[in-house]
Amino acid sequence: MKAKTAKETVDLYDDLGNCVGREIPLQALSPLYNPYMREVLDLFKRLAVIDLGKLEVLMKKGMAGWETVVGQDENRMPWYGRDLPLVDRAKEIVERIKEKVEKYGDGEPLVEGAGKYIIVKIPRRMMEISASRDPTLTWTAVALCQAVAETFNMTPETDPDGCNMLKGAVFGRYPQSPEFPPGGPVSTFLKQSNTVDGLGSGFKAIMVNHLVALCNKRTLDAVALTTILEQAAQWEMGNALGWFERYQLLGSAYQGFNANNLVLDLVKENREGTIGDVAYSVVRRALEDGVIKVKRTLPSGYKIYSTNDYPLWNAYTCAAVLAAVIVNVGASRAAQSVSTVIGYFGDLLLMETGGLPDPDAGRVEGTGQGFAFYTHSIYGGAGPGAYTLDHVIPRHGSGFVGPCIVAGMCLDSGTQLFSPEMTSASYFKIRERLPLLHEPLKKVAEAAERIKPEVMKG
Amino acid sequence: MAEGKVKYEPQIYPGKDETSERRRKLWDKRRKLAKYREISDDDITRLLGHRAVGALYPSVHPPLEELIEAYDPIKNIVVPTPGARAGDRIRFVQFADSFWHPPIAPHGRLRLYFNRLRGIDVVAYSGRCILEMRERDLEAAMKMLLETEIFNPARTALKGITIHGHSLRLDEDGLMFDARRRYILDKSTREVVYIKDQMGRVLDNPVPVGRPLSEEECRKLDLAYTWDTHPFKSRTEVLEILSRAAKLRVLAGFNPELLTEEM
Repeated sequence: MKAKTAKETVDLYDDLGNCVGREIPLQALSPLYNPYMREVLDLFKRLAVIDLGKLEVLMKKGMAGWETVVGQDENRMPWYGRDLPLVDRAKEIVERIKEKVEKYGDGEPLVEGAGKYIIVKIPRRMMEISASRDPTLTWTAVALCQAVAETFNMTPETDPDGCNMLKGAVFGRYPQSPEFPPGGPVSTFLKQSNTVDGLGSGFKAIMVNHLVALCNKRTLDAVALTTILEQAAQWEMGNALGWFERYQLLGSAYQGFNANNLVLDLVKENREGTIGDVAYSVVRRALEDGVIKVKRTLPSGYKIYSTNDYPLWNAYTCAAVLAAVIVNVGASRAAQSVSTVIGYFGDLLLMETGGLPDPDAGRVEGTGQGFAFYTHSIYGGAGPGAYTLDHVIPRHGSGFVGPCIVAGMCLDSGTQLFSPEMTSASYFKIRERLPLLHEPLKKVAEAAERIKPEVMKG
Repeated sequence: MAEGKVKYEPQIYPGKDETSERRRKLWDKRRKLAKYREISDDDITRLLGHRAVGALYPSVHPPLEELIEAYDPIKNIVVPTPGARAGDRIRFVQFADSFWHPPIAPHGRLRLYFNRLRGIDVVAYSGRCILEMRERDLEAAMKMLLETEIFNPARTALKGITIHGHSLRLDEDGLMFDARRRYILDKSTREVVYIKDQMGRVLDNPVPVGRPLSEEECRKLDLAYTWDTHPFKSRTEVLEILSRAAKLRVLAGFNPELLTEEM
């Protein structure tokens, strides 16, 4: 980070325009320092969810070992079916899993029943000695199988086929197939690590709709939560070091945490406007704030703008592309256009400023165009909500695309085939049991406020 | 867009020549597009082929007022379009633009839509540009797309499928090639007439969309820089902006702190 900016601060605003953090040093918004972000990231790594209702159906119908989320009836073996009242006896199963897991914890409750769901957090002690975050999946699956076997007295002597069926229903074809059954009864917030490619992409390995559901479709909260994950991934992949630290911090502060109320101002100013209006608004705002200035005027009267602080201009443009998504999807209340706005908004800025780099030096535009291609007509039509952020199409860039997709899905009023209600119903439920994830934008600001003196000292 | 403290007017596009000026006009929503013809609402519905004339708008969800949505202040700020408010389906129109002095091109449509329409979804690819909106919003937008200077009945076409043909020679009547023969030149009225809707389904009643523009008009309205109208040398300002954009993107992408005011 440039020396002159070590004490650089921003004010953070919530989605009602209230200031929730005044003069927050940029450093306090880094996942490396912000205690709230660290807690959230820790939760995302350690949390697994068991869907007992699902397991009950699988056991009853003898379904196991499918390979795709939409083909879960690939193998049906009703002759091995077992009618186990798992949901009715959820309490007992929770207790048994507790016995196995909680004794390694540091006193915090780790296993919690929530209707037909069970939420399991893996003890820190285990995570610390683990080379990966895999115990979240392995521990939960093993504990579940043991608990069910104990509850219903299933052993190779009493019920050999039932044991096999249980293993198949929970683990699928693992390890012959490297992946647990997609959409199976045990799931983790983040995709299992051996299916994530790209070093440091772990925190991006979550579906857009899950994030939407975890924030109950509150747009700027979902943007903040996504930004925490995206920026953690940027640090993990080494993309926020040295030259890029201030760039990432400013970009995430303005786009993700509504710094200086820029996103909200742009949205309010253009509540009845178009995507283009947002582009012109941000140029005006940057001029007013002295971020850019007229460098020279061409014979036609066209002005070329320049900047001495590109990371800040980038932050303005990243905030603007998010505002443009909100303005456009907010108007149509249909999320499919997210990729289009991401893909072509930068083009308007280039033409308006005489070539000043657009969001993320063009990476947002490039990612958006590819994303648009695969979410429209000839090559696809996939719903933006069903993508994981680490998917090979929307993964590029520096963490400034994900928040836009999530915002778009929050604003959709029911036009999507892959709606959050369809793909992520359990996450709406789980959310109620995870107060940590409520109001993330406010909590980021509060945590930053707490560490402010320390950070200011340097 | 609200008035601010600094003197700033959107400049939209660089360049002194007529083609630049043409682009500036199309993409600037403050400027009105010239009207060339009139096409009735019912004919627009027929051309789109999404619903029967006079039929109700089918919906994908209840009207917004009846939806019970979780609290989100943002949803109360942005004003939904009439189609969104009613819960209309998302429907589309796709235009193909010929190479031969068209009044607009796919990339130009994209910028025009971005600036002039709300609640849009648009992708340009090769010679085509798709536009998706809520159904009644789309029908309203079609007025502008068909009636104004950005539509040349001979060289702009509604092609929902089988879009091929934008780079082919014009046919003997001066029309853009269409493998589905959706439109023909009515020799008696000298007007282009759609005998099929954009999906290539035969219409009960042909829909006239006006006379083809003359060669002079085509050249005057052309959005593209071409050797016989405005060759690339006249693009000095545009070329300067494009090369500056490319250079600054590379430098800023390499190291964001490299950029200075002098660049």
